[in-house]
Amino acid sequence: MAPNLRLNAVAFISPQNHPILIRTFAKQDEHSIKYHYIAHTSLDVIEERVSAAGKATECYLGLLYAMEDVAVYGYITPLKVKIVLALALSDSVVRDVEITMIFKALHMTYYSAISNPFLKLNPPTDAAHDHSPYLLVGSPKWKNFRMRVDEISRVVGNTPNAVSNP
Amino acid sequence: MANAQASSSKCVLVSYSAAPSILSSAKWLQVQAALTALLPLRNIHWKSASRSSIRTIQELDVNLVPLDTPRDEHTQIPVTLLEKPLLNIYIVVCQNTDVEGYRTTVKKQIKDWHSVVTAQKNQEWLILHIIRPDSRAQTANFFQLKGSVFEKIRADFNAEKRERCVQVAWSPETDAPAVWAELINKIKDGVLSAFDSAVSQREEEVKRSESQRQMPGWNFCTFFILKESLASSFEGVNLFEDAYTQYDELETSFYHVLKEKNLSWFGTLINPMGGDDSAPLLSVTKKSYRDLILANTISIFDFRIYLLSRQCELLAQRGRINEISRKAAAFLAAFGRRLRDIEATLPQFFVESWIYSSALSVVGYCDNWASGFSIAGAKLNSFNAAKGELLELARTQLDVIGVTVGHLPIRPPFSSSCDPLNPPAQNNSTQTISNAEILKAIVDADAFYKLYVDATNRAIEMYTKAGRKKFALRLHGSLAALDLHRGHYKTALATYTSLPAHYAPHMWTSLESFMLSRALDTHDVYEQEKDTEWIHILLSFLKSYVDNQGSELLIYGEDKIEYVTRLVENLCQAASKLDADLAHPDHPAVSLQVSSNARIAETKDGCFLDVTVHNRLPCVLHADEISIVLAGRDSERCRFSAPLETLQCGKTELTLFCPAAAAATYILDSSELRVARLLFQWTHRKSPAKASSSLRKETHILVRVPKDLLALDVQLSQPNQVKLGEPPTILVAVTTGRNHILKASVKLTSSGVMFRPKDANLNKPSHSLEVIDNAIILEDVPEDTIVSFMVPHSDTSAFQAMKIVTEVEYTTKTEPTLSRTMRMTRVVLTALPISVNVEDFFRGSRLFSKFTISTTSHQHVRICAAHLMAQEGGLDGVKIEPCATKNRGVMTVTPAQPVNFLFYIDSAHGPVRESLNLLIRYRMLREEVESVIGEVVTNVLEGSSSPHHHRVTVVNKLVEALEHDAGWVDLYGITGELNVPSTPQDDVDEETCQLLDKAKTLLNAHKHPHPPKGSWREIKIPVDVPYMNVVAAACVRILATPFSDIASKEDALPLYAGQPISARLTINISFHWGSSAGDEKRRYILRYDVEEMVRDWLVSGPKRGDFTATNGATHTVPITLIALHHGELALPKVAVMALPMAGEMTMGSMAMPSIETYQIHGAEKVLVLPRGGRSTFVVGMGSNFG
Repeated sequence: MAPNLRLNAVAFISPQNHPILIRTFAKQDEHSIKYHYIAHTSLDVIEERVSAAGKATECYLGLLYAMEDVAVYGYITPLKVKIVLALALSDSVVRDVEITMIFKALHMTYYSAISNPFLKLNPPTDAAHDHSPYLLVGSPKWKNFRMRVDEISRVVGNTPNAVSNP
Repeated sequence: MANAQASSSKCVLVSYSAAPSILSSAKWLQVQAALTALLPLRNIHWKSASRSSIRTIQELDVNLVPLDTPRDEHTQIPVTLLEKPLLNIYIVVCQNTDVEGYRTTVKKQIKDWHSVVTAQKNQEWLILHIIRPDSRAQTANFFQLKGSVFEKIRADFNAEKRERCVQVAWSPETDAPAVWAELINKIKDGVLSAFDSAVSQREEEVKRSESQRQMPGWNFCTFFILKESLASSFEGVNLFEDAYTQYDELETSFYHVLKEKNLSWFGTLINPMGGDDSAPLLSVTKKSYRDLILANTISIFDFRIYLLSRQCELLAQRGRINEISRKAAAFLAAFGRRLRDIEATLPQFFVESWIYSSALSVVGYCDNWASGFSIAGAKLNSFNAAKGELLELARTQLDVIGVTVGHLPIRPPFSSSCDPLNPPAQNNSTQTISNAEILKAIVDADAFYKLYVDATNRAIEMYTKAGRKKFALRLHGSLAALDLHRGHYKTALATYTSLPAHYAPHMWTSLESFMLSRALDTHDVYEQEKDTEWIHILLSFLKSYVDNQGSELLIYGEDKIEYVTRLVENLCQAASKLDADLAHPDHPAVSLQVSSNARIAETKDGCFLDVTVHNRLPCVLHADEISIVLAGRDSERCRFSAPLETLQCGKTELTLFCPAAAAATYILDSSELRVARLLFQWTHRKSPAKASSSLRKETHILVRVPKDLLALDVQLSQPNQVKLGEPPTILVAVTTGRNHILKASVKLTSSGVMFRPKDANLNKPSHSLEVIDNAIILEDVPEDTIVSFMVPHSDTSAFQAMKIVTEVEYTTKTEPTLSRTMRMTRVVLTALPISVNVEDFFRGSRLFSKFTISTTSHQHVRICAAHLMAQEGGLDGVKIEPCATKNRGVMTVTPAQPVNFLFYIDSAHGPVRESLNLLIRYRMLREEVESVIGEVVTNVLEGSSSPHHHRVTVVNKLVEALEHDAGWVDLYGITGELNVPSTPQDDVDEETCQLLDKAKTLLNAHKHPHPPKGSWREIKIPVDVPYMNVVAAACVRILATPFSDIASKEDALPLYAGQPISARLTINISFHWGSSAGDEKRRYILRYDVEEMVRDWLVSGPKRGDFTATNGATHTVPITLIALHHGELALPKVAVMALPMAGEMTMGSMAMPSIETYQIHGAEKVLVLPRGGRSTFVVGMGSNFG
């Protein structure tokens, strides 16, 4: 029985490098700081990858780095929203196809979440920040996005990875 | 050893053979040397059928060995394809012509060799025929019949198409490299073709083996060795790429096998030996891995390391150092996980020590390899980054060790790398790890910290070099955590307070708040005073707390709400201890919502404003005061405030009071919440620069303050009496309303206009007026009083209107302690609504002045009267009378129709030297109508319940109705009836409706009162009476006969067209209006000119001439006119002009006396009859002569 992929955390980061949503699926609350760190540090690697790739960038950036017990994968949408995935590190081969699939699902989730026209309704008027409506999608006010991300994580965790058994 | 051999066989074997006599000769050594000099081979292009692209071998070492070198032929282990020679060369040295010698001895030797060589699989052969260069020339002899030795060799052995014989003309004396070219090509061909066939054969074998994978008895190790032989063959010919591919494929199939759990032929996962954990990871020689594999006893641990190190070695050959470190890091992390599963069987800290030592050794290896290549730019960055990752991996192991041993607390960030699900099991192993550093660190905390800090700093350095700022930041954070743990509070605090700034710009509030909370904790532990700096940290923390509503706040341990509550309490305490006010802008913890309408206080001046305050903190905030500032159109500011005690969390409704607010629409400018000495400030007004940069529409919050009719008010207006030429004044009316004013000071300012409050004077001397510092101060003014006074100011003729800022500060009797300040901006028109033009006509000693009054705006102006008056006391001998005989009533000046007033001035003594005054009484139509309405409404409202409320509504309704439709204007102008048009009245109650109807009826019946009532504005305009040096009156009179002096009477003589008519031109001269009136000696030279009316009159006689004029004199000239046609004809006009006065110079130029001419006959016409019927001419027949 091949081990399943286990998502530890998913992070969506805006083109301006603002965090949109950092969702951790690990149980312990105090470990979530780690995934915040991971999401933040991934930006460095993503930047490296993107600048190294030049113009012809693929969305999927592959394994960014492995740290402690997680493998971090990156994905950048054509509109430069970055998606970072922290997988529990295992000693089995992780196929890019599977990861790409998860990323595409996450991308679609984000895409459908920001299509919500109500996001732009009543943007916060406090002058301190210039909120882009796309950042709001991750705010606790909008539950749908979170629910869908959680759903993806659940599905990924429960499916025996068929792709890896040719 | 096979292993050693595999790595040493870096070159291709080529065997040589020759006749023993040759081999033993001295010359052979020279040949051998020459051959060796040709090597290594360069630029070999390998085109293989199984590979898509041509592989190029840049350089290939060739080892020349004698054919019969003893070799361990009989190993079954496939090592490499290169262990046998790929090419066998037989060297023939003889003269080309020595066919006989060949046939007898050489041929047999070759044959023997040939049979041996061709029996070998995958080997090529080559016969090299060396001849002397001079003999070569002979072979070129075309006519040689016997054929050469070379040709014989070819004929005998080279049966196939492929050319395997080479002839080289060479001698040690003439060592030219060119001669070897063909040989080299042949060697290359041979080597390649042998290699190619060997590779395809081996590949075939590998493929076969792989396909048997599922069969029982298949052994991965055997397969591995087989496949690896391919890899080492590729490596041997410097095809690292292909070699690497082999290992990659091996790795993949290993994973397959791993998945299938078909690991029976492996030993255990790991067989820890002493030193395993500290051995350099990438060394291929640290264990005899191949032997272990062959023996099927290799552990997975060793196998994986071997695979990795071979891969890395190959990568290093190709200079792909980056991949090595990345691969190694991934391997360490991944395999480390594997090892942890069986941690119990391993020595304590084996995994950690292994990863630690391996990571460090990989860095060392990489540096070593990298020194052979020049890495720069982005490559260098990623190289550094990869090294950083490795170092961090090593550091992470220290985390685990530290936490387990107790050098580090079980708290993030240290504990994040240990897996709390699998607490380190009791290990049963008796062995210990071998890394001395770690062993020491386990025992000695200080050594541990040093190791930890060193590793971290190395990682930070690498990350910084690589440009991975964020990684470095994280490590700094962990260093700070270490400092905190070790009690180095100062360093920890410094780091923690500097870190949030790096996270804040991108709104990583979670990390920011984490750092801030750590800083606060450190502050607590450190027991530093809670100073301004602490407050700033705390406020930043609360800000990030509020920003993500606490949901993703990364505080661990205690209850978040309790934690924040305690902090906020501390904040309030700290705030009260501050020495000075501390303002903090735009904190999101509290926000305000302001209602859009203020309410009038009713019982006193001022108004209330409802505000919803939202406290986003999860606890009560002790605040002292809340206030907001509204900004008006100009510089008006209203400050609403309310005292507070506590601000509950969530929304709180508050009512703020402003003691003095002028009615207007304001925008919300700023708000402020005071907590002891801490001020939270918010600016709601966006700066224009920011607004333009943002795409979203900026929404200003508007607040309307209604008009309080009973509040103190200051009205500014133009005074009712305006005297042009005198310093302008402004009328200030202070209405006290409901207030008994104790003291009020009024200050007027306006840009470009200077007020002179010192010269202000009250209209009615009922109150005292004091001026202090340009402020006009009124004292003790009772309720419902209007105090008005005039304030002179500087000239404003350049402006249409002036904008005056009025600042009133007042205290009332009811609230003597409360000083109210109001700022109002009023616009007062400085331009007059009417303009006056004057036209003067001189008639002898009388002057007619026509004043034309027109409106300067679109408004209608009602003129009550206009008077032209002399100065006070009148003028001697001057009589001014209006020409209109009776009072004309009130007239309306419209933009289309001005009004004229005509006056005549009789002056007995020459010109009028004093200026006269024109006094106009007027008012705007609007003012008049409004006063009529006001009067009517007052009548209507008599006895009504709440006069004030209705009055405003009714008046506004009526004015609105009148403004809608201008149809009533004409009728009103004539009769005074105000026909108020009907307007929809849905929004008024019934009572008002009735009042309105009543008022309308009354207005409809309104008549212009006579004499006009109400207040009129007055304007006094100084008028100068002009001078006129000469007034000439020209007159043309028709005479009855050419010789009579008597003017013809109308009926006296009929005039006929074509008939000459005698006329007399008289010009009367008067100097009455000139400056030299009364001077009898005054002379002017004038010129008259009778106008040509070529269609009506022919003028003959002295029609133009000069004459000298004296006062009262008449110049007479006879002229003859001939009417050109019949009809009523006007007589020609006469123009009189003055000639420059000889000898009199004014300002250096000829002085021209002013002159006005009028035609006495200007209105006269004469009847000219047609010449009809018969004409009788009397012709003298000369009888008279007789």
